[in-house]
Amino acid sequence: MSATRLARGGRIARGEELRFHWNGRELRGFRGDTLASALLANDVFLLGRSFKYHRPRGVMSAGVEESGALVTVGEGARRDPNVKATAQELHAGLRASSQNVWPGLRFDIGALSGMCARFLPAGFYYKTFMGPRRVGGTRVWMQFEKLIRRAAGMGAASRLPDPDNYEHAHAHCDALVVGGGPAGLAAAAAAARAGMDVLLVEQDFALGGDLLHQPPAADEKLRALTAEVEAAGVRVLTRTTAFGIYDHGVVGLLERATDHIARPGAHQPRQRFWTVRAKRIILATGALERQFVFGDNDRPGVMSASAARAYLHRYGVRCGARIVVATNNDSAHQTAAELAQAGAEVTLLDAREEAHSAGGELSARMRDAGVRLCAAHAPLRAIGRARVRAVQTATAAPGNEWIPGERMRCDLLLVSGGWSPAIHLHSQRARPVWDDALACFLAGQCDEPITVAGAAAGVWNSEDCERSGAAAGRAAANAPGNNAAPAHNDGGGAILPLYEIRARAKKTKAFIDPQHDVTADDIRLAHREGFVSSEHLKRYTTLGMATDGGKVGNVIGLALMAEALSKKIAEVGATAFRPPYTPVALGALRGRSVGEHFRPLRRTPMHRWNLEHGATMTMAGLWHRPWYFARGGENIEQAYQREAATVRAAVGLCDVTSLGKIALQGPDTAEFLNRVYTNPFAKLPAGKARYGIMLRDDGLVLDDGTTWRLSDNEYFMTTTTAHAATVMAWLEELLQTRWPELKVHATSVSEQWAGCALAGPKSREVLATCAARADAVSNDALPFMGVVETELRGGLRCRIARISFSGELAFEIYAPSDYACAMMDMLWGAAAPLGGCLYGLEALGALRIEKGHVTGAELDGRVSIDDAGLGRMASTRKAYIGSALRMRPELLREDRPQLVGIMPKNRRKTFNAGALLCEAGRGRDVSKHGDGWITAVTASPALGHWIGLGFIAGGADAWRGRRVVAADPLRRGDVAGEITSPHMFDPDGKRMHG
Amino acid sequence: MAERVSALQGADAPRRFGADGPPGVTLREVRGLRLWQVAAWHDTLAEVAQQAARAAGVAAAPPPGAAVESERGALLRIEPLKWWLLGVDAPEIAGEHGAVLDLSHSRTHIRISGTQAAALLNRHLPLDLRETSFAEGMVASGALHHVGVALWRSARGYELFIPRGFALSLWEVLLESAAQFGAEVAAADSHKI
Repeated sequence: MSATRLARGGRIARGEELRFHWNGRELRGFRGDTLASALLANDVFLLGRSFKYHRPRGVMSAGVEESGALVTVGEGARRDPNVKATAQELHAGLRASSQNVWPGLRFDIGALSGMCARFLPAGFYYKTFMGPRRVGGTRVWMQFEKLIRRAAGMGAASRLPDPDNYEHAHAHCDALVVGGGPAGLAAAAAAARAGMDVLLVEQDFALGGDLLHQPPAADEKLRALTAEVEAAGVRVLTRTTAFGIYDHGVVGLLERATDHIARPGAHQPRQRFWTVRAKRIILATGALERQFVFGDNDRPGVMSASAARAYLHRYGVRCGARIVVATNNDSAHQTAAELAQAGAEVTLLDAREEAHSAGGELSARMRDAGVRLCAAHAPLRAIGRARVRAVQTATAAPGNEWIPGERMRCDLLLVSGGWSPAIHLHSQRARPVWDDALACFLAGQCDEPITVAGAAAGVWNSEDCERSGAAAGRAAANAPGNNAAPAHNDGGGAILPLYEIRARAKKTKAFIDPQHDVTADDIRLAHREGFVSSEHLKRYTTLGMATDGGKVGNVIGLALMAEALSKKIAEVGATAFRPPYTPVALGALRGRSVGEHFRPLRRTPMHRWNLEHGATMTMAGLWHRPWYFARGGENIEQAYQREAATVRAAVGLCDVTSLGKIALQGPDTAEFLNRVYTNPFAKLPAGKARYGIMLRDDGLVLDDGTTWRLSDNEYFMTTTTAHAATVMAWLEELLQTRWPELKVHATSVSEQWAGCALAGPKSREVLATCAARADAVSNDALPFMGVVETELRGGLRCRIARISFSGELAFEIYAPSDYACAMMDMLWGAAAPLGGCLYGLEALGALRIEKGHVTGAELDGRVSIDDAGLGRMASTRKAYIGSALRMRPELLREDRPQLVGIMPKNRRKTFNAGALLCEAGRGRDVSKHGDGWITAVTASPALGHWIGLGFIAGGADAWRGRRVVAADPLRRGDVAGEITSPHMFDPDGKRMHG
Repeated sequence: MAERVSALQGADAPRRFGADGPPGVTLREVRGLRLWQVAAWHDTLAEVAQQAARAAGVAAAPPPGAAVESERGALLRIEPLKWWLLGVDAPEIAGEHGAVLDLSHSRTHIRISGTQAAALLNRHLPLDLRETSFAEGMVASGALHHVGVALWRSARGYELFIPRGFALSLWEVLLESAAQFGAEVAAADSHKI
């Protein structure tokens, strides 16, 4: 056993042992472990296989930057692939397994692809799959694709429905502090003490950041800082990642509420997606240690030096017994000494000539601990497959050359290639800038109230980080005190910029982005092929496009490209780190908007009444509307045709609440309506309704509907269901921006009034039975387009207009919504004995198509008032919205598609809405886009055959005597048709005046 | 005269649900809403404000974003030129001065109270409900599950006014979110406010 849990130490609860399963094997860890630390404590190093070459991989870090230890956690519907073992909190009963392996982890068929690596370079899929024509062209590629898709990849997601709940939440704060290390804690406490309302978020389950990775002496400092944060009243969210910063201080957070709990409470959402609106943002997100690359630097047992330190001090796990530490800066010296003190045999390879720049004390500690120091040395290649066994070292030679040196046995190879501040969030707001002295990117100039503190700002040691955080906190609150942040220091220790160790003529794979198997050679290939811009490099090689987002590898990739171009890194540029910082589950994005709550459901006040009376419902926008009312085993066709026939023969009752309804009030309303509608409204008398068309500014039709004048200053407008909100918003916009001098208030009353249509020759008889005063609804009191405000029996107040969509004698009756069912009971009670019916949307459609009345299907935003056959409603004696632009030559062309009726030549045939109308007999019936299209179809009970509405170039007159087909190649094929006037039933409108 | 039928009828039976322990939120419908919109013109704002205040039985009409309440009723400033008058009848206002409009059936009134009431609302509403930003007596409008709603913080809790047709759907979503806090549906209150 080389990796071992030490008998003492670590910030874990040793009293609380947890059993968990790894690839089916039961192992033990402690509360406070991550899955990675628990596996390492059990000396498990080989965790999975890589994306492309199926190389063995293990733990490479101790945090979210992990690119080796990707595992699948959970089973069945709760299987979660690509979880970073280094960030997964251990809990009792946790089940985790390797991914991308077949048949097994130790022997994996896919690993053969490593031997074919020559043929699978970066961007190989761009080149190979065109396929030589001689061997089948693209078809060959399609076969290869299947193989490659199976071989490449990461874990597989469950195909079962996600059983967990997720939710969204909103929060506001004066200052949001991201990161709970020394800088973040100090910043939060300082800002809160100065009176700010502070929210502190930490992605880990424990606060402390780097303090958790330091020897036990750091506990006192951590306790003091957390006590200050608590005393200052800071709100703290742990297990919460700030994944993106957006405009105006909006920050997206992902809280993992129950991923650490073996059996979460039934009502607890698994994850919470927070939208935080912060006045100020302090980023104390720390820094990530990067590698430099060398041969086979991805072998299990190669990890960052800081990770080994974290496992030692936080989890009490010493990851190796014979350890080689390779570094180009001072930060790993401490780690080397501490590992030696913990009983390991440690050799330190420092790439620098002068490897003691941190001064006497540290050198003395290393000497005392027995660390063997080799200056001007670096690893050239890791040796071993499933586990590193030794390292081939190299010594520095002049001219950036490395000469192979001795081979050292080891069971752990630690690398510290310098530190990259975690400026990912900041880079979403401003381009990062390269700092030559610190050899890293720092946050760029940003105009927003966002500050960066601590290691994220290139401040390396804990004390300075704390000072930097406190200064940022005070500055955010404009509090007095020394708000000058500590200058960047070189505590990292005179870093030697070093990104790759390679010797001439040595062919090994050196990984820059292990998660996507991108190697140093891939970067050079991209350079040779001309993909030299950082953005092209990224896309060509996929560098930084894996789930770790290039946290560790991006800088190295840029450095190698810079070297290939003989440029400086600053000149190559940086790619922005886009959100999310770490992956966000799709479930968290959708929150509770799933299943029946995918969108809000809008019910009419007679929703239940309709259901109780046998309605089958359908969606109309967000509304649920009755579709048809089947009787005794009828199907939809039978039901709607019976309903439509009953309306024409007797009477029908239909819920039309979903029509938009707008109250217009004020002395200037008549003038306002006159400007909005194409037809005259100025002289509409009280007690009358008028049908009107509204155009948009561009002269095309916006909507149609009726407006009722209730009194001098009171109007009631109805709109189509589809355009209710659009019209309301349009009227408000006009009143607020274009004509603020008009004294008109527009208020949506769609929800205030329940509406029904009562249509058919017996409708007046029904209404007379229900009205408190029968004479209030007589032909004299309520003529065509007349309006009354009256009462139904029992004092039920209502407003009634005699208007018709069906073409029959018909009324629209509106009552306050809470009385909707009472209204329906009364009307249906009178209509049923007269042989009436309830009818739904389908019959409504049949009736209006017979009459050639338009709806949203026809008024689709492309149609002029003339196209819709309503040109006579466009006044020539007044100006109105759209009156100028409707006279554009394009809208006056005579061959524009115009509204027509369509009937099948053979009356037994049917056609579909969406079919194209083409002239028949021109060789090919279906040519180009045809001459028109069908918008709506129905079986017409009145005519006894199928009919439709649609548009065709030039309108019905232009098609007299010409043959037309309804072409529908994907569904019914071609059906010969004839074009008629859209008014296919009772064209003179005698019935509705009856 | 027929009884008024609530949009939540059949869905708001009193019950205790969700996480154990004392309920963090209590939801109830307030039935029998009497709601009038009182609107002024730019040049009649002061005079209509007085009329609205008199009708509500309060000393002065509230400024935008605020509400005042009396024994008789309440007055909410819902838009720069508009108030909502709750619980009482509207004053007579001539068209040249302003307009009144009955909206009593247009909204479903839900009251949410309890220690976690604001937390529950913020699961959906992007409004700043911190004490410093939304104290008692304040009014705001926002979007709850895509639907425009009005919110008034009274002494009794958060008074939420939802367009009637969406009320049941939003009620269901709110109950689903409330379960984590431990929740209770209380018997419907009637509108003396």
